[in-house]
Amino acid sequence: MTAPAPPDFPGDWSRGVPLMAGDWFIGLYQPSPETVGYWEALTRRELVLKYSPAAGRYYHPKRIVCTETGSDALEWRRASGRGTIYSFSEVHRAPSPAFAASVPYTVGIVALEEGVHLFTRLIANPGPIAIGAPVTVDFRVLEGGVLLPVFLVGAAA
Amino acid sequence: MSAMGSATAIVGMGRAMAMKGEGDPKTPLQLGAVAARQAMAAAGIGRHEVGALFTGRTPQSYMVLQYNQSLLNELKIGPTFSSEMTSHGGGALGTLQLAATALQAGVIDYALCVTNEASGIWMDQVGSNAAWEGDLQFEAPYGPSTPSIYAQSICRYMHEYGITPEMAAHVAVENRRWALDHPHAVMRHKGPITIEQVVTSRLVATPLRLLDCAVWYPGGIATAVVLTRADLARARHGETTWLAGFGQCNTHEWVGERMGGWGYAPFEDGPDLVQTGAGVAAKQAYAMAGLTPADIDLAESSAPFSYVNLMMLEELGFCPRGEGGNFAAGGGIAYDGGLPFNTIGGYLSFGQVAQGLYNLQEVVDQLHGRAEGRQIPDAKAGIVHMHGGPLACHSVVILSKEPVA
Repeated sequence: MTAPAPPDFPGDWSRGVPLMAGDWFIGLYQPSPETVGYWEALTRRELVLKYSPAAGRYYHPKRIVCTETGSDALEWRRASGRGTIYSFSEVHRAPSPAFAASVPYTVGIVALEEGVHLFTRLIANPGPIAIGAPVTVDFRVLEGGVLLPVFLVGAAA
Repeated sequence: MSAMGSATAIVGMGRAMAMKGEGDPKTPLQLGAVAARQAMAAAGIGRHEVGALFTGRTPQSYMVLQYNQSLLNELKIGPTFSSEMTSHGGGALGTLQLAATALQAGVIDYALCVTNEASGIWMDQVGSNAAWEGDLQFEAPYGPSTPSIYAQSICRYMHEYGITPEMAAHVAVENRRWALDHPHAVMRHKGPITIEQVVTSRLVATPLRLLDCAVWYPGGIATAVVLTRADLARARHGETTWLAGFGQCNTHEWVGERMGGWGYAPFEDGPDLVQTGAGVAAKQAYAMAGLTPADIDLAESSAPFSYVNLMMLEELGFCPRGEGGNFAAGGGIAYDGGLPFNTIGGYLSFGQVAQGLYNLQEVVDQLHGRAEGRQIPDAKAGIVHMHGGPLACHSVVILSKEPVA
């Protein structure tokens, strides 16, 4: 949890910008203490997950307590970066101006080899984007100016 | 039927509405306070008799902490039990469950439940809502729109059960047909629509097209309800509507986080975007009421997309799992001869107000023969489904005109 963040990554994908819904401030700066390890790993272009040694299973990076054992002794472990598409939707009407220039783009859920599901951006490489298609992690700076894990779909992945 | 079934009755309701651009804009608190006084007057109870006040979650267009406190301050009441019911859109209806629980525990004699929203007047909901529906760290940075978040469930639903766009389009068509008869349905003046129009309307987020989606209600709605126990209802009140049964189930926050094995029934099978808590809530409600789906004369769902209505028809027990598409395509919810479903026009054609409980008012009106121009003959029982989250929190209430024996 103490890895130094590079200068261009303040450990906060919002870069200190208040998160707004219309005119409303809706959240504190990110990331939160239980997820900071995930964002620090991203600066090294690594995808990490929570791991419970007690249960021998992986969890979503947000998980605080092992569902099976109740233990909060979770570790960060690097994921293989491979998985399959669980579900997806191609966005044609952007939720905000920041994303409008990118439509259509695809958001989806991938099932990682470790048994964890992540919400993500799916990028055809060359595709096709379909349920069950194999994916591989990549790292891209998306519309918000933040480096994020995305998943490439297709043989070229 | 359990002891809680038909033990609580609605003895007064109130409603306040305001449309964007018509007259002075109204806040949810203004609407809620007016609806509350109407409901108290309808029930014939004074301020000193309000034992409990329960509100839905804080309206998006009136962001204060402890909204219930703002309301009781305005009403000058001193309830001995008061809370917000914060389980997203499900909480609005959940207030009735909290009321019934408090009433049957004997700690109060009367409960006032108020739910209200006016974000259609004050907010850009298309621009703001996705930020409420998605996890701020793990979802929002990828640019999901609200439809694309629900579409994660829909994509799986189509994949697992062979649901087609044409099947889902039946929901949009039938919702619109009902809306033509409802004076407050926002799409009423747009006229009827066809399957062809739905499946060729412009894409919003695959597989959702414009006419598959709810329209945000361009206004504000408040609904207030006074509830009491059976003995008081019979002794003191005129028109009563019975809480035959109710149920609730809340499973997750954020679409990504719902995935992953639960380890206990009914979600033990692990990742699933299709099976929701609505089925659990509905089973509870039917069991409490001692009724089955065959006993239900009309159903109102808060499902904001055509496909999600198919899912909810399954969860509410009107057809087996995976059969929602065939049910709708086969006339199951046809305006002529099918289950009266979303008789206000649904969220697709009435419009979506996350709080406000317009659909609860509709069932009460139908049960008492007040649904002018769209009255279902001899309606005895109706089911209301509210949810939010998305698809995270579900509340189901079965209302009946007479107590279910």
